[in-house]
Amino acid sequence: MDTQSDTAQADSQSMFASYLGGNGALFGLALKTSLLTAVTLGIYRFWQRTRIRKYIWSSVQLDGDSLEYTGTGTEKLLGFLIAVVFLAIYLGLLQIILFYFGMNLFVDPETNPELALGQAGAIYISLLAVLPFIYFATYRSRRYKMARTRWRGIRFGMDSAAWGYVWRACGFFILNIFTLGLLLPLSTYKLQRYMINRSHFGDARFNVNGKWVKMYGAMSHYFIGAAFMIAGGIMLYLAFDDITGTVQGTTFRTNDSSAILPGVLIVIGYIWAFVVGSVFYRLRTFAYLTNATTLDNTVTFSTTPKARTVIGILFLAALLMGVFAAIALPSLGAIVFTASSMSGSITPGPLVVIASILLYLLGLAIINALAMILINQPILKHIVTSTSVTNPDALSEINQRAFDKSADAGGFADALDVGGAF
Amino acid sequence: MQAVSAHFYDGMSAQRHDVQISVAERDMTLIISGPSLDQDLIWPLGDLRAQGDRADPQLTLMLHRDTGDETPHDAARLIVSDPDMARWIRRSRPALYNKDVAKGSLRKVARYAAIAITAAAAMVFVILPAMAGFLAKAIPLEREIAFGKTVIYQMERFLGGMSVNDLSCTDPAGLAALDKMLATLTDPQDMTYDVTVTVFDHPMVNAFAAPGGQVVILRGLLDTASGPDQVAGVLAHELGHVENRDATRSALRAAGSAGILTMLLGDVTGGAALGVLGEQVLNSSYSRDAEQKADIFAYNMLKDAQISAGGMVRFFSYVQDLDSDIALPMYLSSHPSSADREARARQIVQGETATKPSLTPEDWTALTSICGEK
Repeated sequence: MDTQSDTAQADSQSMFASYLGGNGALFGLALKTSLLTAVTLGIYRFWQRTRIRKYIWSSVQLDGDSLEYTGTGTEKLLGFLIAVVFLAIYLGLLQIILFYFGMNLFVDPETNPELALGQAGAIYISLLAVLPFIYFATYRSRRYKMARTRWRGIRFGMDSAAWGYVWRACGFFILNIFTLGLLLPLSTYKLQRYMINRSHFGDARFNVNGKWVKMYGAMSHYFIGAAFMIAGGIMLYLAFDDITGTVQGTTFRTNDSSAILPGVLIVIGYIWAFVVGSVFYRLRTFAYLTNATTLDNTVTFSTTPKARTVIGILFLAALLMGVFAAIALPSLGAIVFTASSMSGSITPGPLVVIASILLYLLGLAIINALAMILINQPILKHIVTSTSVTNPDALSEINQRAFDKSADAGGFADALDVGGAF
Repeated sequence: MQAVSAHFYDGMSAQRHDVQISVAERDMTLIISGPSLDQDLIWPLGDLRAQGDRADPQLTLMLHRDTGDETPHDAARLIVSDPDMARWIRRSRPALYNKDVAKGSLRKVARYAAIAITAAAAMVFVILPAMAGFLAKAIPLEREIAFGKTVIYQMERFLGGMSVNDLSCTDPAGLAALDKMLATLTDPQDMTYDVTVTVFDHPMVNAFAAPGGQVVILRGLLDTASGPDQVAGVLAHELGHVENRDATRSALRAAGSAGILTMLLGDVTGGAALGVLGEQVLNSSYSRDAEQKADIFAYNMLKDAQISAGGMVRFFSYVQDLDSDIALPMYLSSHPSSADREARARQIVQGETATKPSLTPEDWTALTSICGEK
């Protein structure tokens, strides 16, 4: 097969990337490795992630050459164990101390019941203690992935600058809370630029130009969703005020007909903002930043992914996986029921229990593999194939960079459950 | 075999070399030659390696070399698109997909795992309990009481109460009887906490101690009790938890170890279920010790108040009947085996001399209708 013919030429100086991954092969790989992960009580997940990445990376081709993922499962396991030692000590000590101070903030619920209700949630503030490590893990796992990615034998890489990212990200987190997310493009632009400007291919450096205010367009569907929710909220407030006059505790009559329309508006607004809006925002900001990125100021990038296509993929995936669940779960139940009624007792025997656990794990593995081929791969394929590189010939001038050990190998991200699909 | 075209990258730059490759079977080598190469490269066939799990159809070859990188492979890449050559190499090179794990990897993994497990275990079983014990003593009393009230309030909402004190039973004669029982138990003792006991109107047979000397009895316990001594026994047990600050301690400890547990279990398939099980085991190993201490405290308290532990015998035998329906293994249930506790209570009863009932029959009637007549 001649892969050269797959790469369409946008013009003589520009070249589109192509995506080779097939659904059957990826489904088989994901299913097999998910089952191995289940039977090894999760230990195989480091090798699972490695093998999936090898497949996905090698699916992405530019100018006839695939990306290559060179990470190993062993280094991921070691990195996870390193992260466990740090996080066990940090999380344990910090959470118990924060909880202690949280306890000191409690007031008597009898004198101040409304405040006390909110304080039950305040205890979860200790979860915020993890936030810096989540940002640390985000940067470190991206650096690890870059350090283990090669093209034409040349390494990608990222500078060792995770703590600079941590304090910036924490600062923007606080800023976004106080500005109700209105400065979201600023934080997205600055944080992404921080990472991209510290990224390299060989001895060449990536660099982001552009202005953050130009990313406000990406927020348009957030604003539409918010408008629906605010309208619903105002209507609800007015209707509520008319009927009861005063607020009685925390109960109110949701079955009141005047609450239906505002309720519908709020639900529509919520779905609009958090499904359409977030897909649109992520794609648009990704496209803006990619188009504003150059490699050593000679190679430029262009990408035009469509939110419509991605939402279509998500909708189809939800539909197909819903159908699978609707068929699989009742049949699972039927199998367990039949097996237990055959054994003739109300409490299921050990064989039935083991069989249902195995079937449950098989079901989860299938859902995991389905998500891979119905969501992750199609979206990646769409993005990759809508991306082109201008002046690819200049890539030939780039030289190798040194090996980066990146000792935690994404272990913090694994321990804190941070990170994307791959 | 005839020479075929291929692409070669030297591992130093991203420049593509168009090359011809041929196999010298006599020397067991692969010869790479091209106009842009300074000289022909000779790769031993035995050192050829390729990556598995790839989606692209070409064969990407590399050399097995001890480079000190993540994998022992040289950075140069030879990309073979010719299907016949690729097939021949795949078929004739059994070591092509070797994993080439660095020496001592297994020992390294074992060492790291031992360190990680030791650190996590030391935190969960030694450092956090010690800190919880220290902090539970350090917290100012009024703060602990306020926290305890919030816990009770949460519990009340969980049991279906709509507002503060929604479930509290308020019959005056019943409250007076409850106070009498409490006074009988606590008067001979030197109590740290100013104890308050509340009855919630709920059918569950249970009682719990919240931080700050606050005890809640659920109505179900009064309904099923055969007499006042049974309630007094349970109350004495809960007062043991109060004096040992068990509720505050376990809340602090749970806060400290929750993050560690979920982290350790990771995103295992079905990990949530394992997480619950792990927390349950962890909690009960803590609780069983605390429960035993509370039992001992209760026996001493009952003895000082001259109340018979016979009520506790009946309570444990009742709980045992409940247990037999579910039959959890002992290390999974948060209380020590009821049979053992019943046997222990029977021993205590045998050693008793003069006892008196914990409440008069009139007071007992008042207590059982503390939530109003049904």
